[in-house]
Amino acid sequence: MKRLLIIIGKIIVKVLRLFRRNAGNLPGIVLWHLSGHKCCSIFRVDCPIIAVTGTNGKTSVTNCIAQLFEQSGKNIIINREGNNLDTGICSLLLRHCNMSGRVNADYLILETDESHVPVVYSQLKLDTLVVLNFFRDQLDRNGEMETLIQKINGFCKSFDGNLILNGDDPNTARLGRANPENKNVKYFHAEPYAFATDKIFEASEGRFCPFCGEPLVYDYYQYSHIGKFSCKKCGFGDYEPYITATDIDLEKPVFMADGHKYTPKLNSIYNIYNMTAVAAAAKLYSIEQSVTDKVISTYTVNNGRMETFMLGDRKTTLNLAKNPVGANMTLRVMNEMQGEKELLFVLNDNVADGLDVSWIWDINFSVFERVTRVVTSGTRAHDIAVRIKCSGYDASKIVVCPDLDEAVEELAKTSGRKFVIANYTAVQPTRGALNRYIAKHGGKQNENN
Amino acid sequence: MKTIKILHMYADMLDLYGDSGNMEILNYRCRMRGIECRIDKYSIDSEMPDFSSYDLIYIGGGADLEQQHISADLLKCRDGIVKAYNEGVFLFLICGGYQLMGRYYRDADGNEIPGLGLFDYFTIAPSSRKMRCIGNIVIRTMVTGETVDVVGFENHGGQTQEVKTPFGEVLYGNGNCSKSSAEGYFEKNVIATYLHGPLLSKNPEISDYMISYCINRGVTKSVELSVLDDRLEKDCRKVMLDRLLNK
Repeated sequence: MKRLLIIIGKIIVKVLRLFRRNAGNLPGIVLWHLSGHKCCSIFRVDCPIIAVTGTNGKTSVTNCIAQLFEQSGKNIIINREGNNLDTGICSLLLRHCNMSGRVNADYLILETDESHVPVVYSQLKLDTLVVLNFFRDQLDRNGEMETLIQKINGFCKSFDGNLILNGDDPNTARLGRANPENKNVKYFHAEPYAFATDKIFEASEGRFCPFCGEPLVYDYYQYSHIGKFSCKKCGFGDYEPYITATDIDLEKPVFMADGHKYTPKLNSIYNIYNMTAVAAAAKLYSIEQSVTDKVISTYTVNNGRMETFMLGDRKTTLNLAKNPVGANMTLRVMNEMQGEKELLFVLNDNVADGLDVSWIWDINFSVFERVTRVVTSGTRAHDIAVRIKCSGYDASKIVVCPDLDEAVEELAKTSGRKFVIANYTAVQPTRGALNRYIAKHGGKQNENN
Repeated sequence: MKTIKILHMYADMLDLYGDSGNMEILNYRCRMRGIECRIDKYSIDSEMPDFSSYDLIYIGGGADLEQQHISADLLKCRDGIVKAYNEGVFLFLICGGYQLMGRYYRDADGNEIPGLGLFDYFTIAPSSRKMRCIGNIVIRTMVTGETVDVVGFENHGGQTQEVKTPFGEVLYGNGNCSKSSAEGYFEKNVIATYLHGPLLSKNPEISDYMISYCINRGVTKSVELSVLDDRLEKDCRKVMLDRLLNK
């Protein structure tokens, strides 16, 4: 039966390729139905599997860990395009297995959607699970966050492989107690950076100890609910870190870990956390220090994460914000910048965004400084306009343009510095609209493109 | 003119789905009219407030875990809240806040969380956590004296039953129970609903109903609210009504 399913799957992949279609998800969906919803169980994988999950940073960390092994000369398989549900992983393995379903590689590095961790790894043996963070994101698809954490916690109860956890996020650190028998739990941690605060800055969750209900006490907050926390009653949060990022300086940017200096390209605190997770994986798999250095110092992204465009002579920074944490970080960067600027906010409510847009009310717009005009766009252009208006921003300076090309034209009409925030499904269409503007009126696309 | 005094309860714990935005909007709409609006916060560690000294008490929604923490504290406030309600203080309740004012909330594992019992309804969560009422919702309400189609977003497992006087009639979405016809609970000084969004962001008439109630409470000469420019809010609602109802 398994063999038959593999053959069917491979035929679908071939046919899709014949029509030059990307076989990213469809073969997996077909096999999901044919296999009684266990589409990953038909493969035989003998090599170690490393999975990366969490709300923010999955793609970055997965790619970096993959590079660690690739640059060490290993043969790896990775879901680079971010097809991270069971059906996407099934489609990926179909393209890399032989006719008996055997997958040949030294390592599998798989970005995995939070809600699919138990699904996929009850079918495939997992060597290491990296959990980055849990933020309020796409709540309506996953139900409430507590449900999501419970699901992964349930999986961790019987998991005895390596568990690399963000020790500064109580939502992920608690997974370390799921299986008291598991001796392979490893926490990564970061000392406070220059903008760490005593008080929480943004709306957040996880204020209480999940074990005894006491309010958690924080030495410092790095951003959102990420920081050095502990429970004074039961001691949750008192762990020995496996690896610690110290001497973080985002101006350079630079940080130290395990007595070694790293110089990443991206200068945000969440990138430091991501890179610390990468360093933890490198340590666990005894990757050569020179390889880890190279991976961490060269990693950059070109997918709407602090990407730069020139609209004519107007410098424009695009950043993805799929939740309040991301949006608040962008607003901080915007505010720390001198001079006047204009903002384009593109808000969609497609299925992958989560149909609910109320998260925009957790963005702290009252911090706006020297923002002279706001243009809004996307399928929920009006919602974000109302939200910004009610924060006290002058409504006459808000322009609503649901059509993206019109919105970019409107934004570029005036001179000066521009910022663009786009949520998940809005990022690629926004990049498209920015590039169309540049093709038509001149300017320069992101140099890394 | 008098100052409107609002007590926002458990703001630090029950603030899922941008529910705190409702306070920002009420405050904004008062400020635009030159009405003073003071919003105090009460949470688990705070001193017991004089509930009757407020014009409006607001409680938002939260995750199951947080509601359990709150229930015990809320029961301590019971007498004060009941007295305030009887004296005409407005109760504005979203989701978890709505459920906790009923008789009880039975969670997915069968644990019963006692409510204040201020109203007769009760809420039962289905045993499967997957069964939730999630999505955009449109309800038609007459609370302002005119027909208003209200748009919001619902996300609740709990099925609220034995509601005698609902907030509105469901035109799209689920309401108090899966595929039900009624949504929320209403009295002249109570709006209790599952609608997030936040509720007031696209429904300025509901904000003004509450502001008008508060400003006219205990005064002899009734005050008319000045008209605000709500074009953005109304366009915002129209986009959703067109999308959801005129398929």
